Amino acid sequence: MSGRVGIIGIGQSAFVSRRDDASYPDLVREAVTLALNDAKMELDGIEAIVYSLSPDAMVGIGNAERLGVDAVGARNKRFLRINTGGATGISSVEAAYYHVASGACDVVMTAGADKVGECGDSQTVLNKIWDPTYERQLPLGTITMLAMSGVRYADKYGMTQADMARVVVKNRMHASKNPNAHLRKQTTIEEVMASRMISWPIKLFDCCPQSSGGAAMVLASERYIKERNLDAVWITGLGHCSETYYLGDRMGTGFTADHADAYALRNAFNRAFKMAGITDSAKQVDVAEIYAPFSNTEFHSIEAAQLAPLGASPAMLREGQFQLGGEGVVVNPSGGTLCTNAIAVTAMVRVAEIALQVWGRAGAHQVKGAKRGIASGNGGDHQFFGTMVVEA
Amino acid sequence: MELLKRQETWNITYTHALGETASWFYVQLRDHGKLYGKRDAKSGRVLVPPRAFSDQTLEPTTDWVEVGPGGRIETFTIVYEEFNGLPPPPYAFGYVKLDHADTAIGGFFRGVDLSNQEVAAEQLKIGTRVMTKVAEKRIGDVLDFWFEPSTD
Amino acid sequence: MTYLVKTGVIGAAIMPHVTGLKQSLEEVLYDVTQRALRDAGLTIEDIDGIVTGGNDQYDGRAISVMAASGSVGGVDRDILSTPSSGEHAFVMGTLRVASGHFKTQLIVAWSPTEASSLAEVQRLAADPYFHRRLPQDEMGAHAMQANVLLAQMPGLMETAQKVSAKNRSNGQSAYPGIAADGEMGSRYPLKAGMASAATTGAVALVLASEDFVAEHKIANVAWISGMGWATDAAFIGDRDLSQSPALVAAAEQAYGAAGITDALASFDVAELADATPFQELLAYEALGLAKRGDWKDSVESGVFSKSGKLPVNLSGGAQSLNPVYCSGLIRIAEVALQVLGRAGAHQLENVRTGLAHAASGDAMMYNTVVVMRRGEQGVSP
Repeated sequence: MSGRVGIIGIGQSAFVSRRDDASYPDLVREAVTLALNDAKMELDGIEAIVYSLSPDAMVGIGNAERLGVDAVGARNKRFLRINTGGATGISSVEAAYYHVASGACDVVMTAGADKVGECGDSQTVLNKIWDPTYERQLPLGTITMLAMSGVRYADKYGMTQADMARVVVKNRMHASKNPNAHLRKQTTIEEVMASRMISWPIKLFDCCPQSSGGAAMVLASERYIKERNLDAVWITGLGHCSETYYLGDRMGTGFTADHADAYALRNAFNRAFKMAGITDSAKQVDVAEIYAPFSNTEFHSIEAAQLAPLGASPAMLREGQFQLGGEGVVVNPSGGTLCTNAIAVTAMVRVAEIALQVWGRAGAHQVKGAKRGIASGNGGDHQFFGTMVVEA
Repeated sequence: MELLKRQETWNITYTHALGETASWFYVQLRDHGKLYGKRDAKSGRVLVPPRAFSDQTLEPTTDWVEVGPGGRIETFTIVYEEFNGLPPPPYAFGYVKLDHADTAIGGFFRGVDLSNQEVAAEQLKIGTRVMTKVAEKRIGDVLDFWFEPSTD
Repeated sequence: MTYLVKTGVIGAAIMPHVTGLKQSLEEVLYDVTQRALRDAGLTIEDIDGIVTGGNDQYDGRAISVMAASGSVGGVDRDILSTPSSGEHAFVMGTLRVASGHFKTQLIVAWSPTEASSLAEVQRLAADPYFHRRLPQDEMGAHAMQANVLLAQMPGLMETAQKVSAKNRSNGQSAYPGIAADGEMGSRYPLKAGMASAATTGAVALVLASEDFVAEHKIANVAWISGMGWATDAAFIGDRDLSQSPALVAAAEQAYGAAGITDALASFDVAELADATPFQELLAYEALGLAKRGDWKDSVESGVFSKSGKLPVNLSGGAQSLNPVYCSGLIRIAEVALQVLGRAGAHQLENVRTGLAHAASGDAMMYNTVVVMRRGEQGVSP
């Protein structure tokens, strides 16, 4: 067997709405430079690049990974791009992992960036993710799609809009401690509840922002890390799983995945947990960075990670769990996707953040003594789910 | 320094083949105002909208089953924000499991006053019975029909 | 091979020319997947991971993989997509099996022609900062590459026409009735018959690990004994279009792993990227099959013809059938089927080793090289 796969370098931008000072490839390069500096290495040492980029239309450049080739120093090197929608970032880390785990490479970088703020209207682009036969004619977007998940979740388990607001308050408090987060202003339940209704039951403050910025990570084989006596944290579990494309197939009768929950995310976590030897995640995990672009979706994702029984996470949050300084597993200490969403890399940032946490390098939002973290990413129309376990 | 911007619009038109299954469904809707599902013989479930194969069993679907016009709301949302290229708000849409179907189909909800959010959401809550209405002029499209809360 | 787990192709299906309105894109993907599974003698239950390659702008769908999850069997499975190119899905799938985390992978790529203009679709890949306002599509870049070569090598046009004639003739044998003949010159200096109009197509392959092959007593496997992939620069102006350093790099990776030193003597059959005959010629050199000084003689003496030392593009290549976005993966599938002995009308006898080269993007930007060897169960290649 080849050895483990470690993370030896991490770079991420300070995410903001617009970066008029930097072109799209400039933003990628910014993250690459940060990650290489962190790994204390040069581009020459990188054997392969996995390019992390979700819909082309979001950056307005077809096959925009081509424009990124020089930004990641990939000329005449192994290079490919991954896209699983919102899960792209974690799928890219997974793809980089297989580059190393297969024995093909010793050192691989994954990198990308997004400028969601430059897209005229991301919800218009995102409507085009649905099939043109039956679902695209409807005014579907990611907000409405997940609002309809929230309606089902509320009906099934009794979640209230105040419960949703509590997620926002927690994550904004976390983001206020994270210099790279986009929305860093703290808020209150009253303020969230008073923000305007976008798509019932999701209000403005329940939504993630449109962020610009980049992220990059360097992965290496255990042999490479040991030979050079490098500092690293380790990917000990990973797994992906998918659901049906059709929202209407996640309801009705005889369905397997309920649109209220995150059925395939649970399966993806189970794959990662099995590989990492985790049997009780609520007890064995210290920190979680779980992809949740809208407040309501953090609940079913926490439950898919089995940090709470189905339907129980709103009550546990009410009791003060999941937050820095609180009881149990801290969820999204970075502020999460709810406070920063540069779509192409947002799920990579989830992995990067738990890596920093178990490394003890997370700064003001460090979870004390964190040794084992879990991350996830969701993509498509709540369709593709990626998960990862990272340990010190 | 002076920083420049450039506006670019993508303008490609796509002519998508709908295939035999969706074509038959839309022709029935257009010409007769009726909705049909297709049965996955392996699981016995009636897929609405009809698919040529089930993505659960990966078997081809077999017989056509007329569904509706009654149904129950499986989920909904009411949009109060304007998005480029999408209808002017407010509007309500969601998914309905039509009678004799096993999966839900998306459509607009009409006949509900959306001005009071709480009241409107209560009128569209999951489990609410609805009736399918079809437009007088139909083109063979999902927008040829919509749902209204029924009193039966 | 340095990979952890030996990986092979056990089945494939190619639909190079789908016409009419009977099937939606998803139905085509379902169809090609089911065909590949049947070819491998498996059902979807045997598949534990999937990698797809599609292009959002070709498909007119903002995340192309979404249509390919349910239709190819992605529900409850681990699915990734590599929108950089169809052949990258093969690379990713191979790495996944080779890592020991998966016993099988299904690889699917497709290329519809439902857009109002494929040239316009490709132009969207030009950066908005410097090049978008130019009428630059991929065939335009391929034509500029041809011009650079022609300027350096007087008389090359004649050799290129012979390469095209070879591929077109092969295409007529391999896919009679659907392979292109005549038409499509459209970009100077390309002449009629040097490129073919885009078709709608799809291709699927099934990969399996050595353990899976042994467990299921699969007798016939095209083992992947070498694989390489590399990219050139994106800006045409940054490149010497008369050279393909990325293909040289990809070949070094693949040949290194497979222990190939004399390429021309090592393969029974090859499928090379040939969006134009000039690309096939460039590939001869970068892959160590014929230096440019030998192109004329090699082509004229029939080294790469049907009955030559190394038949190249027995399928007719992309010059005969070109579903653009999956033409690269089709090259790999054609070689796999040749090695498996199931290539159909154009099957060559006694194929034991094959070489596949796939290219995508402007003027062969992305290059992927795969070396496959036939192997019986329990026998090392």
